[in-house]
Amino acid sequence: MTAYLLRRLAISLGVFTVMSVLVFLGVEALPGDACTALLGRSATATKLAQCRAANGLNASVLHRLIDWASGLLHGDLGFSIRRGKSVVDIVMPRLRNSLALATVASLMAFPLAIVVGVWSARRKGTRVARAVDTLSLVLMTMPEFVTASVLWLLFAVWLPLLPGVTMVSSTASLLDILPNIWLPAITLALVVFAHVMRSMRASFLVTEERPFVEAARARGIAERIVVRRHILPAALPTPINVMAVTAAWLLTGTFVVEVVFNFPGLGRIAVDAISDRDTALILALTLFGLVVFIASSFVSDAVTRALDPRMRAQVAS
Amino acid sequence: MLNKTVLRLTKRQPARLRRRNLGVAIVALTAFGLVSCGGSASTSTSAGVLRVANDAGFGGSETMDPYDGNRFWPAINMVFDRLIGVDKDFSPIPELAESWVANDAMTEWTLKLRSGVKFHDGSDFDSADVVYSIDRMIDPTFDSPVRAVLGIIDYVDAVDASTVTIVLSTAEADLPVLLADYRALMTPVDSLDTIGKAPVGTGPFSMQTFDPEGTTVLAANPNYFLGKPKLARIEIPAIADAQAATQALLGGQVDMLLAVGAKNESLFSDTSKFTTQRIVSGDWNGIDFQVNHKPFDDQRVRKALRIAVDRQQLTDVVLGKDGGVVACDTPVWSGDPYRWDGDCAQDIEGAKKLLADAGFPDGIDIEIFTSDVEDNFVDLVQAYQEQVKAAGIRVKITMADASGYWDNVWMKEPVFVTSWGQRPAPQVLNEVFRSTAAWNETGLIDTELDGLLDSARSTLDNDGRAKKYQAIQQRLFDNSATFIPYHKTLVRAMSAKVKGVAPIVIDAVRWEQIQVD
Repeated sequence: MTAYLLRRLAISLGVFTVMSVLVFLGVEALPGDACTALLGRSATATKLAQCRAANGLNASVLHRLIDWASGLLHGDLGFSIRRGKSVVDIVMPRLRNSLALATVASLMAFPLAIVVGVWSARRKGTRVARAVDTLSLVLMTMPEFVTASVLWLLFAVWLPLLPGVTMVSSTASLLDILPNIWLPAITLALVVFAHVMRSMRASFLVTEERPFVEAARARGIAERIVVRRHILPAALPTPINVMAVTAAWLLTGTFVVEVVFNFPGLGRIAVDAISDRDTALILALTLFGLVVFIASSFVSDAVTRALDPRMRAQVAS
Repeated sequence: MLNKTVLRLTKRQPARLRRRNLGVAIVALTAFGLVSCGGSASTSTSAGVLRVANDAGFGGSETMDPYDGNRFWPAINMVFDRLIGVDKDFSPIPELAESWVANDAMTEWTLKLRSGVKFHDGSDFDSADVVYSIDRMIDPTFDSPVRAVLGIIDYVDAVDASTVTIVLSTAEADLPVLLADYRALMTPVDSLDTIGKAPVGTGPFSMQTFDPEGTTVLAANPNYFLGKPKLARIEIPAIADAQAATQALLGGQVDMLLAVGAKNESLFSDTSKFTTQRIVSGDWNGIDFQVNHKPFDDQRVRKALRIAVDRQQLTDVVLGKDGGVVACDTPVWSGDPYRWDGDCAQDIEGAKKLLADAGFPDGIDIEIFTSDVEDNFVDLVQAYQEQVKAAGIRVKITMADASGYWDNVWMKEPVFVTSWGQRPAPQVLNEVFRSTAAWNETGLIDTELDGLLDSARSTLDNDGRAKKYQAIQQRLFDNSATFIPYHKTLVRAMSAKVKGVAPIVIDAVRWEQIQVD
C-alpha cells in the first residue's frame, strides 16, 4: 500500500512539473504579456518598459520558471501584477467559497442521487421510474446557464426567496456568503444529481443480474437484506467514482454558474487570469486543479477498496 | 451576442472588461420571455438608498485616487468635486470655483474659489488644495491619465486662500471645459497616502465602506455646498458580468445600471417597474488608414474610402435602431457646442471618380484588421465591407487576437479599427488629430490643421472660436484618414422608483438630486 501511494505521489509530482512548464510556455506563447494586458492601449513604450522591469518580466522564461518553482517550495505562490496582491490572498478566500459551494451542492445531490437511483432501479419499467429517467436526462443535457436562469426566475423574481446575484466580496464572512450559495448550489446539484443517480441505477441493475445475488435470493434471504448486504456494496463503487469526478468538477469547473450568479469562487478568476496573462495566478489554479483531481481519485480508490472485499484482499496480498 | 456595459469603454474601462461578454445571452432571453409572460418582479427597493451596479473592471485593484488609471469611476464623482462642472448643455458651470477669467492671451486663468466649503473631515477647502490637486494631475512622473487633458498647465499659483492662477504653456480659450473633465477632482493637501482607500472629498457623499469587489457604501454629506442630498445612502455592488447585472436589476437587487447596451433595452420595457433613458454620448468607433502606407497617402483615395458609405444604414446595422448619431468623420459629438454637421450622404459615383483620378479605375483592394476586443469592432468592418463594394472597394477582413490588439495591431497595421470615449472638441482634436499628437493614429501630417487648432484655441470670441472648430472638422471630412461613422447612444436602465436622474452622460449627473421613493 505504501509503495502504491508513493508511486502515485511520484507520478502526480511529475505530472505537475510537466504541467507547470507547459502552462508557463503556453502563457508565454500567447500574444502580449502581463504588462500589455494590464496597460491596454495606454501601453506606451516607457510605461511598458517600466512595468516589465518592475515585475521582472525581462528575465528569460527559464529564469522566471525557476524563480516561481523556488518560491513554491517556500510556500510562496507569487504575485498577481493585475490585481496588485499576492496570489495566496486572491486564491484563499475564493477557495473557501468554492469549497462551501461544492460542499452544499454535494450534500444536496449525492445522498438523494443514491436513494433515487436504487429506488428507480428497483421500480424499473414503471411509469414513475421512466419519468425520473427522462427528467434526469433533461437535467444532464440542459446547459447550466439555462437551468440557472430558470431557477433564478423561480426563486429570485417570481417567489423572491433567494438573492439572484451575489453582492458581497470574496472575503466576506461565510455567514454573509451563505444566503447567496443556494441558487448556484441547486443549479450544480441538479446536474450532479442526474449523473450520479443514473450511474447508481445502471450499476444496481447490472449487479442485480449477477449470480451471487440470484444465489442469495434463492436462499430465501429477505429482499431488504439482499439489497443492503449483497447488491449495494457491489454496486456502489461505480457511482462513487462518478461522485469523485463530479466533486472535482464542482471545485474546478463551475465557471458558468459563478458568472451567472456573480458568485466569488475560483472558476471565474481562472478565466480572468488567462486573459490577464496572470501567470502566477494561472499556475496556482492549475496546481489546485491537479491537487483536487489527485485527491478525488485517492478518495474514490480508498472508498471503493473499503467497500469491496476483493479489492481489500488484493491490497493485503 | 448581447451588448455588455459599454459606458465610456475607452475612457474609463480597462481592456479586460471588454471580453466579459460570456455567451449567456440566453439567460437574458429566457428571462425576457418568461418575465414578459406575466411574472411579477419583486423589488425590495428601500427609500433613500440607491444601489448602482459596478462592473469591477480592475479586478479589485481599484483605488479612490481620482488621478490614478485604476480609479473607481462609479464613485469618484460622488465623493469629490471639480473646480468647474458641466451643465445639461455641457457648458461650464461653477462647482468649487465661483468664477473664472483669463488674460487676453488666454494663457493665464484666474479662478475665484467658493468660500466656506469643507471636506468630509471638517477641514476647509482652499487654494492650497487646488495647487496640490493640479500638481498631482500634471506630475510627469505619476503620469496620470488626466495629464492628457490638462498637461497644458505649466503651474498653479495660490494668490490667496480663495484665489488661484493657472498658467498654461499654450493659449487655451476652453480651459474651463477641460477643467470639467470628470477626473479633474479636488483632493485635500497631502492626501496621497490615504486617498486610495479612505478618500476625503467635498462631494455630496462620503465614503463609509470601500469594497470594490463587494459592495461599496457611501453616506450623504448633509453639509454639501450644493444642498443636502435627497438620498441617505448609495451602495455600489460589484457585478462583473453584464448579464448578471441585468438579472440584478430585473430581480430588484440593484436600482440602476449605468449602461445596458441598446439591444438589451427591451428587457426593461415594463414602465411600471423600470425607466430607461437613451443617453446621447461622444463615444465613437473609427477605421484608421495609415498615410505612410500606399495608397492612403493620396487624399483622393482617403476621401473615396469615406464617402462610399451610407452612414445611417451602417449605424443602424452596427448599433441597432437609434443606437447612434451619424458623424461626418468628426470626433466631435452631437452634444458639443463646436459640433459640425455636414452633408456626408453615400456617394458611390463620387468615390469611383476619386479612385479613378488617383489611378485606380478598377477599384482597390484593402485589408482591414479588426478584433472582438470591443463590441462593434467586427460588425463595423463587416457593414463597411458590404457598403463600399459598389464603389469598387474590395475589403479583406483580418481578425486579430483580442489580447494583443492594442499592442500589435492598433496604430501598427495599415488599416485598423479604433474607439474613443467622449471628449470635448478642443481635447479630442488636439489629442488625436494634431500632427504631433502621440495618438495621431493615422500619422497624417497636416500643418494647416495644426494652424487652425492653434488659432481656435486662442480665439477669445465664442462664436469666432466655434466657427474655427467647425472649419477644422470640415477639413477633416475633406482630408482626414479616419473614417468616423457615428457616436454611440447609451441606454441607462433603472427602477421606476429612482427619480431625478437627468438623461445625460454620467459626468453631468448630479448625485445629490437623485431620490428613491
